Amino acid sequence: MNFQRAASRILSTSGVPIVIALVIVIIVFQIMSPVFLTSGSVRDYINNAIPILLLTVGVAIVIVGGGIDLSVGTVAGLSAGTTMWALVSGAPTWTAVAVGVATGLVFGLFNGLMITVFGINDFIVTLATLNIAGGLLIVLTEKVPLQGVSTPGFSDLVYGNFLGVPTGFWIAAIIFVLMQFLLIRTVFGRRIFAIGIAPGAANVAGVNVNRVRLGTFVISGLLAGAAGVLLASRLGAVQAFLGNGYEFVAIAGAVLGGVSLAGGRGSVWAAVAGGLMLATLQQGLRLNGVDPVYFSIVTGLCIVAGVVFDRRIQQLVLGGIRKRSKSGPTPPAPAKLQETHLLGTGKQD
Amino acid sequence: METTSLKKNQTVVDRVVTRLLVDPTLGVLALLVLICLLAAFTLPVFLNGSNLYNLVNNSLVVMILAMGMTVVLVSGGIDLSIGTTMALCAGVSAAAMNFGLPLFAALLAALAMGALVGLGNGLLITRLGLPDFIATLAMLGFASGVLYIWTKGVPIIGYMVPEFYIIGGLTPLAGPLTLPMVIALLVALVLGGILGFTRMGTHFFAVGSSKTGAMQSGVRVDRVRMQAYIFSGLAAAVAGIIMAGRNTNVPADLGNGYEIQAIAAAVIGGAALSGGRGRILGAILGAITLAAAVNLINLVGVPSSYQKIVIGGILVAAVLANRISAIVSGKVRQRKAMVLEGIPA
Repeated sequence: MNFQRAASRILSTSGVPIVIALVIVIIVFQIMSPVFLTSGSVRDYINNAIPILLLTVGVAIVIVGGGIDLSVGTVAGLSAGTTMWALVSGAPTWTAVAVGVATGLVFGLFNGLMITVFGINDFIVTLATLNIAGGLLIVLTEKVPLQGVSTPGFSDLVYGNFLGVPTGFWIAAIIFVLMQFLLIRTVFGRRIFAIGIAPGAANVAGVNVNRVRLGTFVISGLLAGAAGVLLASRLGAVQAFLGNGYEFVAIAGAVLGGVSLAGGRGSVWAAVAGGLMLATLQQGLRLNGVDPVYFSIVTGLCIVAGVVFDRRIQQLVLGGIRKRSKSGPTPPAPAKLQETHLLGTGKQD
Repeated sequence: METTSLKKNQTVVDRVVTRLLVDPTLGVLALLVLICLLAAFTLPVFLNGSNLYNLVNNSLVVMILAMGMTVVLVSGGIDLSIGTTMALCAGVSAAAMNFGLPLFAALLAALAMGALVGLGNGLLITRLGLPDFIATLAMLGFASGVLYIWTKGVPIIGYMVPEFYIIGGLTPLAGPLTLPMVIALLVALVLGGILGFTRMGTHFFAVGSSKTGAMQSGVRVDRVRMQAYIFSGLAAAVAGIIMAGRNTNVPADLGNGYEIQAIAAAVIGGAALSGGRGRILGAILGAITLAAAVNLINLVGVPSSYQKIVIGGILVAAVLANRISAIVSGKVRQRKAMVLEGIPA
């Protein structure tokens, strides 16, 4: 019994299960192909994963606030496109970076305003902006060839070197630390959790629910913009369909990292661990000669696995609570709780 | 008595506007007429008989998908996997023909595949408790992955028997009438009949309006939601069979982007994303409106690469209009209730 309680406490700590799983997966892949943990290979796959990790964090923050953002993938692609466009037009590096981040900001603001001002369902708005951003990138690539730029310093955003570590790592690490701080240590961050758990109660408690929700979408837009800039810097050329499907991987990563789709639970570093898990799976499959198309199946399965695991954890935790407060009123069954929870966060039409 | 006193308080214009805003089908009809009028003045080519005929013919696949989507939306769900399911079913029917099965067996196999995907969606949602759009998004990734692996990225060809040209509408049935038109009509009659006249249809609306309320009234909510997804899977299969005939080959990305068109058409037709509201006739008119808007934009000379942006924009506009309609109809209901209680409005 004691063991069970300890196990349930450890496993229900946000981020612990995914880190354990990540370590196991890395060990398995290392046994299967010994080149897996060579420094070049690790650097490559983390470098490739960084833009999607940024998207994962953005989506995770939106999901913690009880929303969803499907547009991050194509917005990142479009931001990469506008960044390259600025460079092709002869802008210096920092202007181009600003253009890319601003593109993300505009889409984040648009999403947030449509959702908060008009009360439209968030995944429909972001589904629409997914198409709009993807369409804009297609149009942009037809108008301007987005490649062949040699602006000094731009490729250093990812490939530069600081203290022996690529600059892309540093940028990503700083953003992750900032976001974790924002989510856990600031009033705004606590309010994100509050509106994710129960928007009605948060409203009664004096939280401006719409403003906080708008904030989460703006953050996700900004991170998508940053991801786009890093994508452009790494690739050096932007194709028409860049970013398509990234939202799927980002959501899967967040869910794997224990971010509850019902809202109100999750953390940045756990989401990053979830994203790394997917990147590791992808790299491991590639090294073992598995066709990359299997990856979309793996991602789909990971979402399902993450949600199922999340529900089991909830049941464990609630079971623990029920045992401890035998005299008190019985809390509702976990499955029901989640359902009413979803109904509660389900916004108007 | 009550209704006359309600009418007395309003001017005729006010009433017409309210009626248009409250009844989604009338609203979309008005939008369609508006687009046609706009087109008639700016581009006479639009009202050309052959252009209109092509427009309706091109809207049929999206129309069938939108009807399936409407059933899911009415029951309070959403199906993002509908486009990929369509492609998968098209692939199944084509591969079954290549395998040497007779035509009806190939079609049955495609329908079975559609029902299977719908069942999978329903199980993910009701048994595992995944939110609808996450489950169907996962299914989208899964199904498109399966299709890519299966076809190895090479379109399936060599299945086009003469009957398939008829199914795809490339060979007309009689005069201008094509088989897809007949099929779309049949699907509309079946789904419209189910939604309007059967107990199952009433249950769809009940579950979509309030899951708790439906459950407390003894409706088996999980089973009803599963049925809705099976219907949308079947609709996707029907659309896939037509698509296989029309496209004459099945590439792995055949269904990309169709889910958003189906959702847009259903929402233009008045289906509410919050569930409990929607009409098959609305989905039909919505699909035609969407096709008309895209057609008009093509005629004006906007390159087809803008199509994605336009469809996304139309979706936002449709949801906004829908939202306004919901607010207005809420106010009207409130006013009616006040009149019934004798409170002056």
